[in-house]
Amino acid sequence: MSALALAFDLLLVAALLWLAWQALFDAHRFSAVAHFMVFGLVMSLAWVRLDALDIALAEAAIGAGVTGALLLAALGRLPAKAGHAPAWRRAQRPLVWAAVATVVSATLALAWVAWQLPRPGLAGPVAEVLPHSGVDHAVTAVLLNLRAWDTLLEITVMLAAVCLVWSLGPALSPYAPATALPGLPALTRLLHPLFVLVPAYLLWRGSHAPGGAFPAGAVLGAGGVLMVLAGAVHWVHDARRQPLLRLLLAAGVLLFLAVGLAGLGLAGTFLALPDALAGPLILAVEVAAALSIALMLMAFYLYGEPGR
Amino acid sequence: MFHAAIAALLLLNLGVALWRLRRGPTSADRMLAAELVSASAIAVLLLLAAGLAQPALVDVALLVALLAAVATANFVTRTWTLLHEESGSREEAGRD
Repeated sequence: MSALALAFDLLLVAALLWLAWQALFDAHRFSAVAHFMVFGLVMSLAWVRLDALDIALAEAAIGAGVTGALLLAALGRLPAKAGHAPAWRRAQRPLVWAAVATVVSATLALAWVAWQLPRPGLAGPVAEVLPHSGVDHAVTAVLLNLRAWDTLLEITVMLAAVCLVWSLGPALSPYAPATALPGLPALTRLLHPLFVLVPAYLLWRGSHAPGGAFPAGAVLGAGGVLMVLAGAVHWVHDARRQPLLRLLLAAGVLLFLAVGLAGLGLAGTFLALPDALAGPLILAVEVAAALSIALMLMAFYLYGEPGR
Repeated sequence: MFHAAIAALLLLNLGVALWRLRRGPTSADRMLAAELVSASAIAVLLLLAAGLAQPALVDVALLVALLAAVATANFVTRTWTLLHEESGSREEAGRD
């Protein structure tokens, strides 16, 4: 078994290195994007082998799925002739080498620091406070209670990214596909209920097993992207619905902030959750965050501000 | 043991998909190779779920299956457009 496991892991590592190299250095744009999508899939297998199922779920949903979809749609807007990057100029060479040296030395320094970290890490202390955190799954407890600050900032960064994308101009209307697609509306109608059911399941599971707001939001958002592709989402472009759309986009951050301020009032610390209320509060924040994440991913996909 | 051996064999089989991904020549070939990889990844995940007795892996397989459909729909509606003048795909598009 161990020899087989070793062979499996070596195959994974070899495939990952090859895919990463191709995704970065393939001159053909579509080929690079396809390699990147496959890289995300193989990476999620690697996370499974490392026993990090939460990260495997997030990588499969966000890395391989949603980012791949965004890149594919962006490729469709670019002129097809692959533009080769110009060669480095003589004056740029020292800068390039300085950047490479900085990255290599920073990587080595980080690896050294990571090696020096006390073992076995924080799993013990987290397990100790788990009964007071309101959930039974350590990763969810860390993400939404013990280190809720990091998660709040992550969602805020996504909201800022939506503002940035929308500030670039009005939403782009897609080009006509090269072939007729009679199956697409039927596929969307058949699949979309699953894209609503699975996030609900992942959210419910997040309290006691791998799952939670980020994969749930990503799957819901991917379902929304499927609806956008089939031309079934008109309301986001409706000028009268813009306040509602913006409110829903910000709902995750707003509810998270409200819970954090309530913690300041009740427990004396920003984002501290009282033991008795922690479970329901975490669930409420997760639902709002998943909805906002899903809408944010759809909002990226419009490539500009709708309703203008 | 049996499950792990089949999973390793499927992973080895990915080499064929990676070859297609590298070679192309049209973007449709590359997209199909990527879909082959996601189908293999689903099979590997399900085999590992059975072999390691970890039912949570079935959830990861479910996610991969759902998002593969989105990737394909994206490719046909947004990437493979009439604007796209890649030699292979225009030939395919012109045949219609």
